[in-house]
Order: sequence, then structure tokens, then C-alpha cells
Amino acid sequence: MSLEKKDEMDHEGWMKRKELTPVESTFLTALIWMDKRLRIVDYLELLENLYYKVNLQMPKSHTEQYDLDNKFWYWYPLYALGSFSTLAYIVAAVSGALLGFYYAPAQTGDPSTAYNSITFIMTDLQFGFMLRSIHRWSAQVMVAAVFLHMLRVYFTGAYKEPRELNWLLGIVLISLTMVFGYTGYLLPWDQLAFWAGQIGVEMSLSIPLAGEWIAQLLFGGFTLSQATLQRMYILHVFLLPFVVTTLIAIHIGIVWVQGIAEPH
Amino acid sequence: MSDNDNTDDARTDGGGPGIVAPDDETPTWRERKERTTGLSRLTYEYFERARREDQDLRAESDYVERDVLAFPTWPHETVRNLSIAAFFTGMIFFLSATMPPHIGAPANPSSTPAIILPDWYLYWSFGLLKLGPLNPEIAILGGQKLMADRTYGVLANVVVVGVIAIVPFLNKGSARRPVEQPFWSAVGVGGIVYAFTISLLAVKNLMPMDVDLLFDLTFLLPFVAGFVTYAVLKTMREGYMYDLNRRYYRLRPPK
Repeated sequence: MSLEKKDEMDHEGWMKRKELTPVESTFLTALIWMDKRLRIVDYLELLENLYYKVNLQMPKSHTEQYDLDNKFWYWYPLYALGSFSTLAYIVAAVSGALLGFYYAPAQTGDPSTAYNSITFIMTDLQFGFMLRSIHRWSAQVMVAAVFLHMLRVYFTGAYKEPRELNWLLGIVLISLTMVFGYTGYLLPWDQLAFWAGQIGVEMSLSIPLAGEWIAQLLFGGFTLSQATLQRMYILHVFLLPFVVTTLIAIHIGIVWVQGIAEPH
Repeated sequence: MSDNDNTDDARTDGGGPGIVAPDDETPTWRERKERTTGLSRLTYEYFERARREDQDLRAESDYVERDVLAFPTWPHETVRNLSIAAFFTGMIFFLSATMPPHIGAPANPSSTPAIILPDWYLYWSFGLLKLGPLNPEIAILGGQKLMADRTYGVLANVVVVGVIAIVPFLNKGSARRPVEQPFWSAVGVGGIVYAFTISLLAVKNLMPMDVDLLFDLTFLLPFVAGFVTYAVLKTMREGYMYDLNRRYYRLRPPK
């Protein structure tokens, strides 16, 4: 047993002792160089773990261990809803980024540039109609999945200790999802968008004390204008993506740390 | 309770004998790796060293690794969900291909459409804006309302979201399943029904029924659904509780 730790970790000395061929020493030098910087060994361990786990028996889950499967099988499909909403979010993000290449949030002209760019996407752009369709449907599906996910969490009591904070985070996320949807359907600047925006302005104005300030902040004034469209655009493509993606990561991270709440 | 210490008892955890134990001839994974030659052998040796290095550092640190007593996200949940994920994405593409959205007339501030509606998922919020008839009129103010109907509607939104948010702090204890907590399940079902009825109230100009009746039903139906749920779950409870694994309850007694 060596008490000299430095010697133990001295990979270069170890290599010298081994009488390696040039190929081997090059390989090892590169490997050690990469591993010092990226700790490949940690990830290798993950892969190995996975490999062993598919070859050996997976550890038993709570329901398996206590033979509760026959009681709870009907819950299991509902446990995928959180993943579905994340997946729909990713699809929406990718298709949205592509749509963003062609969309311009401007109100100049009649009909507005924004409306025209949507028309261009839907009629002239190769696959544009499909792209917009995918974006819209993934958004709809995401909202639906998020609602159902919340119901699943409620009815399986998954919000209970120690998961209260994740429930609160979920409330924030579902609200932001709806804000995402709202800012999104304002962007085409058609009749629906305009009058939905009108209702939004009136709702913010009716908030006591802070109403006018909120209307200014979110809608850029008390009537709909270029500023409104531009703010909705920035909210939709810049602010919300960063915030929501971060929150989703934290939300899933907490689930990862705490484990899935099984129906007990 | 580990798998080894109850060899005499019949196994009651529902598991079979599991995998066949390796016999003495079967090389372990470590042995297989030690037998390799060339670069893979070197890789193995280096990683063994690196791992030992990590282990030493870990032994030195005061960080405590805790076991999490729950369902592992990886690999159980992740592997299962990934297989469904491909199907799900396909479903989105199918929906998009078969039912593409169309765009309405361009925005025209001078012509208000007959029907203004948000997307379906905001109907509930839109419905809450139409609670004017419930806004109390204060007698002292001479029949005036304390706040504008619209303010009242916005406040209703805040109340609904707030109530949902504080659920974990109201409903505590180890009960997980609807049959174990009939009251909260009834609240949940009432809430779902209310979300639907308030959405129908939001589209009241499209509903082929008397608006006053619709308004009353909006608030009556959730309570009816809640009571029915409560009664049904209370009735089911006896039977379900009997069926539940007794060993499980000895392990985690309901608080």
C-alpha cells in the first residue's frame, strides 16, 4: 500500500513503466489528455451501468416489489404526459425557429407585413403550410398534455411532501405555457389576434392600481399598435423560451432527484 | 428487507426467481475486461486507475450521497417514455398533415367580429371574466358594485390559480389514491367539471340554450359531480382497502 498519493496518480510515470509501443502511448496520452479535461471516465461509467442494467435484471420499483401492479396499471399511461408536453415543446421550438426565418412582426402596410409574411409562409414557401401546421398543433398538444399532466399529478397525490415546490413550479409553468399560446396567436395579426389582444389590454387595464403600468409593459400602450405586436413577438421568441426552458429543466431536474411519485 | 434474508418464507413480493445466478465457470464482467488485450486493455487499466483516484477523492470529501426512496427516473421512466415518444411525435405530424390551421381575415380595428374567442385552453379564463352577475352589490354604496365586473373577473382568475397552488399545503398525509382521499378527489372532479362548464359559459353565444340556465348549471354541475364522486369513492373504499397489500400497509401506515 502506497502512502504517496502523488505517485499513485502519476499517470505519466505509470506509462513509462509499461514499455508501450508508439501507437499505445499515443492513444493513452490522448485518452489521458481528454479525460483530464472532460472526465470521460464518469460518462463511461454511465454507459457501463446502462449496459449492465439491460443485461442483468433491473432493480424493482416500489409497485413491483410489493406486487401492486394489478392495482395501478391504469395509471401508467398517464405517467408519460409530462414527457409528452416536453416533447411537444421541443417540436414547437424547432418548427418555431424555422418559422422565425420568414416571419416579420411589423404592422406596416394593409394588410400588415406580419399578416403578409404568414400568408407567404402558407402559400409560397416550400413546406411552409406544413411547418406552420406542425408549430400550431404541437403548441395545442403541449397545452393539452400539460393540463392532463396536472390532473394526473393531482389525482395520484403526487404533489404531496416532498414535492410541493415542484407543484408550485408546475403552476408557474402551466401559466407560462398559456402565455406562450396567447402571445403566439397574436402574431399573425388577423382578426382573432387583434381582438384577443384587445381583450388582453382591457384585462390588464382592469387590474387595480398596477393596471396601466402592466398594460404599458406588456402591450406597449392602451391601444393596440406596432409596439404591441413587437412586444408579443419578443415575449414569444426571446423571453419566454429562455424562461420556460430553464423552468422545465429545473422541473424535470427535481423529478429526477426526487424520483417519480408512484401511485401508492 | 433484502432478497436474501427470508429464504424460508414463500416470496410474497410477486417477483419470480429472477435471473439465473452465474455459476463458477461464468466469467464476471471484470474478468472479461481483464482478459482483453491491446488498446482496450490499456483503456481498462487506465479507467481502473482513474476510478480509484475518484474513489479516493470521494472518500476524502464530506459530501453525503443519499438514497432516494422512489421510482427511478432513469432508466425506468426514461426508457419507457422514449419508446412512446416516437409514436407521439408522429401523432403531432399526423394531426398537422390532416388538419392544418387556416388564417382569418387580417386585423381590422373598425369591424368588431360577432364572436370573439381565444384559443380553447383560455376559455376557462375567458369564462371567469363573465361572472358579472355574481359580483356582489353593496347595499351601503346604494346598490353600487364594489369593483368593476372586469376587475372581478381578473380577480377570479387569480383566485382560481391561487387555490390550485396551495393544494399541497392543505392536503397533507400519505394518502395517494383517489379511494384513499374521497374528499380531495371530489374537489378535483368538481374542478374539472367547473373548467368545462365555465368554458361553455365563455362560448355562451354559441350554446343553443338559455343563458340564465347555462349560468346556473355552470355552478351547479361541479357540485353535483363532486358529490357523486365522493359518494362513489366512499362506497368503493371498503373493497379497495381490503384488497390492498397488508404488508405494504404495515410498512407505510397511513398517517
